[in-house]
Amino acid sequence: MRRAVCIGLTALALSACASQQMSIRNLPPETPAADNAAAIKSAAALAAVATAAAHAATAEDSDHAVVPLTTADAPSMYSYDPWEPMNRLIYRFNARFDEAIYLPVVYDYGHLPAPIRSGVHNFFANLDEVKTIVNYVVQLKPAAGAHSLGRFVINSTLGIGGLFDVATKLKLESEPTGLSSTLSKWGLHPGPYLVLPLLGPSTLRDSIGLLGDFGVAYGINLVGLYRGDKTWGFGIVDAVDQRSNTTFRYYATGSPFEYETVRFLYVHRELIEDDALNAKDRPKERAVGAPAGK
Amino acid sequence: MRRAVVLTLAALLCTATLASGAQPDGALSGTGPATGLADSAALRATVFGPRPQDIAPLPATVPLQEINIALPWVRTVPDVFWFDRRLRVWFSAQDKPAPLAIVISGIGSDGNTSKISTLRAALYGAGYHVLTMPSPTFPGFIVSTSSTGVAGDLLQDGRDLYAAMQQIVAHLPRRVQITDIDILGYSLGGANAAIVKSIDAREGKLKIHRAVMINPPVSLFASVFRLDKLFAISIGSGEAGVERLYRRLYTRLANLYRMSERVSTTDTDLLAAAATVLKTDADFSAAIALTFRIALMDMFFAGDLYAGTGVVIDPQHPPRPGDSLEETTRILRGKPFAEYFAKVFAPYYLAHRVNSTPESLKADNRLDVIGATLRSNPDYYAQTNSDDLILDKPELAWLQATLGDRLAVYDHGGHLGNLGERRQIADMLDMLSGRWKEPGQ
Repeated sequence: MRRAVCIGLTALALSACASQQMSIRNLPPETPAADNAAAIKSAAALAAVATAAAHAATAEDSDHAVVPLTTADAPSMYSYDPWEPMNRLIYRFNARFDEAIYLPVVYDYGHLPAPIRSGVHNFFANLDEVKTIVNYVVQLKPAAGAHSLGRFVINSTLGIGGLFDVATKLKLESEPTGLSSTLSKWGLHPGPYLVLPLLGPSTLRDSIGLLGDFGVAYGINLVGLYRGDKTWGFGIVDAVDQRSNTTFRYYATGSPFEYETVRFLYVHRELIEDDALNAKDRPKERAVGAPAGK
Repeated sequence: MRRAVVLTLAALLCTATLASGAQPDGALSGTGPATGLADSAALRATVFGPRPQDIAPLPATVPLQEINIALPWVRTVPDVFWFDRRLRVWFSAQDKPAPLAIVISGIGSDGNTSKISTLRAALYGAGYHVLTMPSPTFPGFIVSTSSTGVAGDLLQDGRDLYAAMQQIVAHLPRRVQITDIDILGYSLGGANAAIVKSIDAREGKLKIHRAVMINPPVSLFASVFRLDKLFAISIGSGEAGVERLYRRLYTRLANLYRMSERVSTTDTDLLAAAATVLKTDADFSAAIALTFRIALMDMFFAGDLYAGTGVVIDPQHPPRPGDSLEETTRILRGKPFAEYFAKVFAPYYLAHRVNSTPESLKADNRLDVIGATLRSNPDYYAQTNSDDLILDKPELAWLQATLGDRLAVYDHGGHLGNLGERRQIADMLDMLSGRWKEPGQ
C-alpha cells in the first residue's frame, strides 16, 4: 500500500514538473445559481444573528452578562512570529507541494460524483465528533457535549455509519470544538505562529491541539482505522477531502506580502475566537506593545 | 477545520470584492470631493454590492479551466516574486462554436474575483466562451507579462494585455471554435478594454468586435488621487490611522462574536460578519480607501523593484524569498498613489519616453486619448452610475457627451455596487450583441 502511494505521488510530481509554455487544468465547475441561493439564505441568517446580538447587548442579564471589549483590549496588529525564517521556508515548500501534488490529486478527486464526495466528507466529520465530545466534557460543558453525542449517535445509525448528515437535517447543527479551544478556556495564549509542513498555517497552541486531538482518536481507534494497514490510505483520503473543501490557493494573491497577510488573518481569527470563547470574562491581559498571540 | 475556515477567508479577502476600487486618472487633479459623486447609499452599495436577491438569473453550472502561460518576452523574474513566473487566466468554453468574451479585472485584482465570477456566469449563460484576465496592475501580471514592471500606464498596459491575449488565444485547444471576439472590463479594466480594442483596430491581430466598459474611470490619476484623499480623510495619514481603524474593527467584530450564542462560524459567514461591523459612512469610506491602498502596495513594491527607484527597496540588495517584509508593508501602507507617481512612475516613464513631462504622463492616462474613436465608433459602450465615487460631474458629462446613447447611466450602485443586478447584466449583454437601445428609444 505504502509503496503504491509513493510511486503514485512521484509520478504525479514528475508529470507536474514537465515544463511547457502553456498548461490547462480543469477546475471543478462553478455553480452560480446555487451559490446565489445560498447567499440569500446566509444573508438572512446573518441578519438574524446581528439582530440577536444587538438584542443581547441591550438585555441586561446580570448572571450571563457579556463583558464588552474596548479598543484598548484589541491585540497588537503585529503577530508573534519568532520562527519566521523556518515558517517562510515551510510556507514555500507547502506552496510547491500543493501545486505539484496536492491540488492535482484533489482536482481528480473532484470528478467523482458529488454524493460519493459528500459521503466521504460526512464520514470523516462524524469521526471528528468524537474529539468534540471529549473536549466538551473536559471543558465542563455537558449540554454541548450531549448535543454532539446526539449528533454522533444519529449520524452513526440513521446516517449509516456517518455517510449522511441526518442530524443537521434534524436541526442538530455541528458545533465542533477541539483541544486548542479547551486550552484557550484554560487561559493559554495562541503562542508563536507556526507553519506546519503540508498542513499550513497554525500556532503553537493549535498544533498542540491537533496533536492532542489526534492522540484521542488514536487512543480510541474507532472502527480500527487509526492503527494498522488501512491507516495510510485512510489518512490520504481524509487529507484529500479536507483540501477539496478548502478554497485557499497559495500565492493566489500574487502578492509579495502574502505571508504577512495570511499570518495576520490566521492569528487574529484565533484571537477573536478566544475572545468569543471567554465572553463572560474580562479580556485577557495583553502586554502593551507585545505582538499578537504572545 | 478552523484552518479550512481561515484559509478560505484569506482567499476571499485576497480576491476582495472591493478590490476593484477605482483607478481613474487625473487631469482634474482631484480637487473635488474625495468621494466624487457618491452619497451615503453609494458608499454602502460600493462596499456590499447588490443584494443576492437582485442578482440576474445565472446558469446552474459553469465549466472552468485555469490556464498558466509563460510569455516569451518575460524578463528575469526577481526571486521575491518566484511564484508569479507564469500568467494565470481562467477560461470557460462552450462545446459549440461561439463568440469569445474577454473580461479584464479591476485594479490590483486577478482574473477570478467574485465580480468576475458573476460576469463569467452571465456571459457563459448567454452563450459566450469566457476568458478572464487579471488587471495589468495585479502583481502576477506585472511580473509575468508587463514589459516595464511599472504598472498604471493605460497605453503601455494596453499593449501588454493585447500581446498576452494573442498568445493565449493562439494556444487555446483546437476544439474551441471562436466566431467573434468582444471585450469588457470593470473599473480600470473597463478603460483597459477600450484601449485594447483601439490598439487592435490598428493591428488587427484579434479583430475585436465590441467593447463594454463597466464603471470606467475617465481620468485615471484624478480618480486615484480622489482615493488617496479618501484615505487621508477616513483613516488619516501614517500607521497610527491604520492602527486606529484596525482596533475599532477588531473590537466590533470580537464583540459581535461575544454577544452571539455560537462561536462556530462558517467561512463566508465570518466574512459577512466582518462586513456587518462596517456601519457608518466613515467606515465605508475607510474600507474603500484601505482596499485601494492594499492594491497599491503591491504595485508600488513591484514598480520600485523593477524600476530600481529605491523608495522601499535597495536596488543593490533586493529582498530574498526568506526575508521578512513586515517593515516594508508598514512603510507602504502610509504611501499614497501620489508618491508612487512622483517617485516611481514618473521617473521611469520620463526616462523612457521622449519629450514627456509629468503633465503629459497624466494626460496620457485620460480616456480621451481615444476620445475621437469613442465618439465615432459605434462598437464602444459603457455603463456607469450617477453616484460613482471615482467620477465627478465634468467626467460623467464627458462620458455622456462622448458616448451618447451608447452609455447607460444608472441612478444607484456607487462604484460597481450594482454589478450583477438584472438590469445591468441585461443591458451589458445587449450592448455586447449590438442590440442595446437606451430605454425610451
